[in-house]
Amino acid sequence: MPITITAPKAVRPSYAAADNASDDSDSDASSDNGAADLEGDIPMASSRRKEDKSYSIVTPGEVITDDPQWMRGHGTFVSPSTSAIVSSVAGTITRTNKLLSVRPLRARYTPEVGDLVVGRIVEVQAKRWRVDVGASQLASLPLSAINLPGGILRKRTETDELQIRTFFAEGDLLVAEVQQLFSDGGAVLHTRSLKYGKLRNGVFVAVSGMGGGSGVVRSRRQVWTMEAANGAGPLDIVLGVNGFVWISKHVETPEALIAETKSATTGITNLEESVSTTMYSSQNDRIGVETMREISRIRGVVTALVENGLRVDEDMLVRGYHEAVEMAMLGEGPDDIYLGGERGEQLAAALTGV
Amino acid sequence: MAPNQHVLLSPAELAYLHEALSLTPPIRPDGRAPTQFRPLVAETEILPGTNGSARICFADGTEAIVGVKAEVERTRGYHGDDEEEGGEEKREQEREGQDEWVELTVEIPGYREDDASTAFLAAMLSEALLADGGFAKKLWINRRFHWKLFLDIILISPPLSYPLPLLSLTTHLALLSTRLPRLKSEGDEDPFFDDDWAAAPYLYPQGTATTRPPITLLVMAVGRNIIFDPTKEELAVADVVLAVSVGEAATDASSTKGKGKAPGRSLRLLSVRTVDPPSRVTPPGVPNATNSAYGIAASAQKQPEARTVEAQAVEGVWRAPRGGAKPAVMAALVQKVLERGGVADEVLDALDAVELG
Amino acid sequence: MADRRRVNGPVGATIPPVFEDEDVQVQATQRTTRSRAPNGIRKMYLKTGVTPSASGSAYLEIETSGKDGVSGLKLSCTVHGPRSLPRLSPFSPHIILSTHVKFAPFATKQRRGYLRDPSERDLGTHLEAALRGAIIADRWPKSGVDIIISIIEGDQGRETSGAQGDDTWDMMNALSGCITVASAALADAGIDCVDTVAGGVAALVRGSGENDTARIVIDPIPSEHERIEAACCIAYLPARDEITNLWFKGDMPDHDMGIYSELVQQGIQASKLANRVLVESLGETVK
Repeated sequence: MPITITAPKAVRPSYAAADNASDDSDSDASSDNGAADLEGDIPMASSRRKEDKSYSIVTPGEVITDDPQWMRGHGTFVSPSTSAIVSSVAGTITRTNKLLSVRPLRARYTPEVGDLVVGRIVEVQAKRWRVDVGASQLASLPLSAINLPGGILRKRTETDELQIRTFFAEGDLLVAEVQQLFSDGGAVLHTRSLKYGKLRNGVFVAVSGMGGGSGVVRSRRQVWTMEAANGAGPLDIVLGVNGFVWISKHVETPEALIAETKSATTGITNLEESVSTTMYSSQNDRIGVETMREISRIRGVVTALVENGLRVDEDMLVRGYHEAVEMAMLGEGPDDIYLGGERGEQLAAALTGV
Repeated sequence: MAPNQHVLLSPAELAYLHEALSLTPPIRPDGRAPTQFRPLVAETEILPGTNGSARICFADGTEAIVGVKAEVERTRGYHGDDEEEGGEEKREQEREGQDEWVELTVEIPGYREDDASTAFLAAMLSEALLADGGFAKKLWINRRFHWKLFLDIILISPPLSYPLPLLSLTTHLALLSTRLPRLKSEGDEDPFFDDDWAAAPYLYPQGTATTRPPITLLVMAVGRNIIFDPTKEELAVADVVLAVSVGEAATDASSTKGKGKAPGRSLRLLSVRTVDPPSRVTPPGVPNATNSAYGIAASAQKQPEARTVEAQAVEGVWRAPRGGAKPAVMAALVQKVLERGGVADEVLDALDAVELG
Repeated sequence: MADRRRVNGPVGATIPPVFEDEDVQVQATQRTTRSRAPNGIRKMYLKTGVTPSASGSAYLEIETSGKDGVSGLKLSCTVHGPRSLPRLSPFSPHIILSTHVKFAPFATKQRRGYLRDPSERDLGTHLEAALRGAIIADRWPKSGVDIIISIIEGDQGRETSGAQGDDTWDMMNALSGCITVASAALADAGIDCVDTVAGGVAALVRGSGENDTARIVIDPIPSEHERIEAACCIAYLPARDEITNLWFKGDMPDHDMGIYSELVQQGIQASKLANRVLVESLGETVK
């Protein structure tokens, strides 16, 4: 059936990951089915939360604790009169050592130093680019923070400034690292490693809403190469912390090229020179049909994970991908890559059940 | 939202998408089949204060609501002081609708009502509705009065993709669920109606052989592939995009006799418009051969040429399409929409299955 | 949107006078019928370079029915550009096209206001689609071109007082004229185009009798035919054999693709004929 029209369903509870179960709040939600209790008064929560609960949901204005030993982190503020720590967002409390912070359930990405992000150029200014990273402000990428082709020792000249569009133009995608933050929270990026730079040979997915339960989470490995099934070659996955994901056919990494050419030529500058020449290409390599299919499949897995409230990181993605391949095998064969709607729910169920 | 609004994608992505969609069968970014629509949620009669209403949500979060209201209006241009006998029959024959009796407005958040793109959408939707001339006839009460129908289409979410098919399907459902109060007066006297809403007949009575409201589908072509329900990324690499409105032909009993009748409805083509695809305003890619930031040339830092030489099409490099579309390609697109048992048919079937009320 | 800068006409539609039926009987039979061949277009007069202050300009007149030598459709087009975009607009690798079509208030039977109404904006969108296919856009980054068309007379005869609903078919004729004149003005302005684009209209018409068969005519005048069932307006590039804009509207009998294809073919034919006139007049200007 090419088109499926369904009646609107009641809101279903999101899949709770095993380590995020919060008994009290869940039972609260399910007991009156989301309806307001019209008979009795809605009881206000007691002013002090019990401290032995590991995770609990707080709302803005709710006092978390007035114990002076805690330091306050993100999502909280200190009430001026009572010097108690009060939550400023709706989310879950997290404690690390003595730091108390509240992670909102859904919020825009806020850049931190050292984050690996995928961004899109939206503006080209005199000596820098403005990059959209899905944060509240555009990040900036100065011309001095990119690798100019020709090696590290190549000097930046006026020609480079006039030719700034040949490096990155409007609409280009790149992977970069947050170098520092402005005082107003805007990020400054750099691509000064050979593993950063312009992206090509693949597709882009935006996973919106970074927060507690779902979306891309900060994890150990944000960039990796995985072997795809059905005869496709290796695929590169880049999970930007800001929720922008890039899936592409494996481009020979500069490090690999360096290793290859190490024996042949001498001198580090020569190696970097030869390697960095491909950095700013916007021409795709030839990509086979199987590779395109598997790339589409992974993109479907990412979307299915997000639509069903699961977090997106290496582990989930790899498991989800293998699950999807199996589902396709049981279904109509490797051509079957659609993972929206019901199939996505099936996939999510299989993952959380495992 | 405008058909040619700049969709920000890099030339590498555009080249990849175009190549993926040119394969046989095309590989769409979300893995759908070329004739597969995204799942959608639909409900009707959500607004009790209107004569008919409907709401549709697409999977990507875009949502539209349509409300239909009717008012009795005096017919202009009728100067009958003559008391005509002839009764009901003559009156029926004289039934003629006028296109001004239907007023359709489209509201899209962030765009003014007289914006070119909104006007285009409104014109397309009302054209489809009034094309066969039969719709306005339903609004005739008597020679002096008629119903004036106000169709208000509101897109609730900011437009992420070209909203035409969403608005059209929602309008279709709203019209199906529209009821007009039952007429109790007779002849040409001032009309008065039955208070009982349950007795109000549907504008499109179910189960009879009257025509149904039209639907408008967005179809695009990349190379030799015909793709339905495109997302905005797919539109950004389209060679040609058409908005095709089809309606159902009234089937009379005689034509259903006989074996060998192909399954599916008999569809009528009501209107076709080309939509300017955003692919024409996309940034071009630069082939490696002429890229001054690539290859040995980059390290040598030679002075760039004053004006870039126009390159031939290179594989893997995106170029915005030029010129138009071949007539044969457009005809194939229209044919694909109209074919019996094809996509338009299935969409109409699915809409039929939505319970009214 | 109240227009406070001008002294406007009466608010609300103006209704043309309706005459008693008895006297009109005689006139009704005098309604002109089509005398051209079904595949012939009306005579056109096209001249470029009429507005010296603009980068490019053109003027088009198409003769009307009945009376020879009297023209019914008059269009004037001016092109300004390519010129630089306003300072704060984002970078654009292509030329930015903006079209502006306006009927003069006295152009049609029912007086139009000074501000553009939705039908004129719709025409502008069609025109933009038609021209975008012809212009080589990436030769002019960071630039814009403005195409302004005034329809001075809209080809609506006095005899059509009784007829309603002919508005759309008139719009199609106006659109095809707009495409042709804009193409001439663009060539006059020296903007690179892949080909000259011209507009053509074909219609499926039927007589008033019950047994009249439907036939396809090109360049129709709505008042000459009893019933127009369907029509399409095509913008066509003859050298590349490509359509840049197609607008079809009507009530097709059954889902018969044959009639639709024939209609499109005839529209292409009309467009080719108009293109010949266009090319000739451009050639004359150069000489």
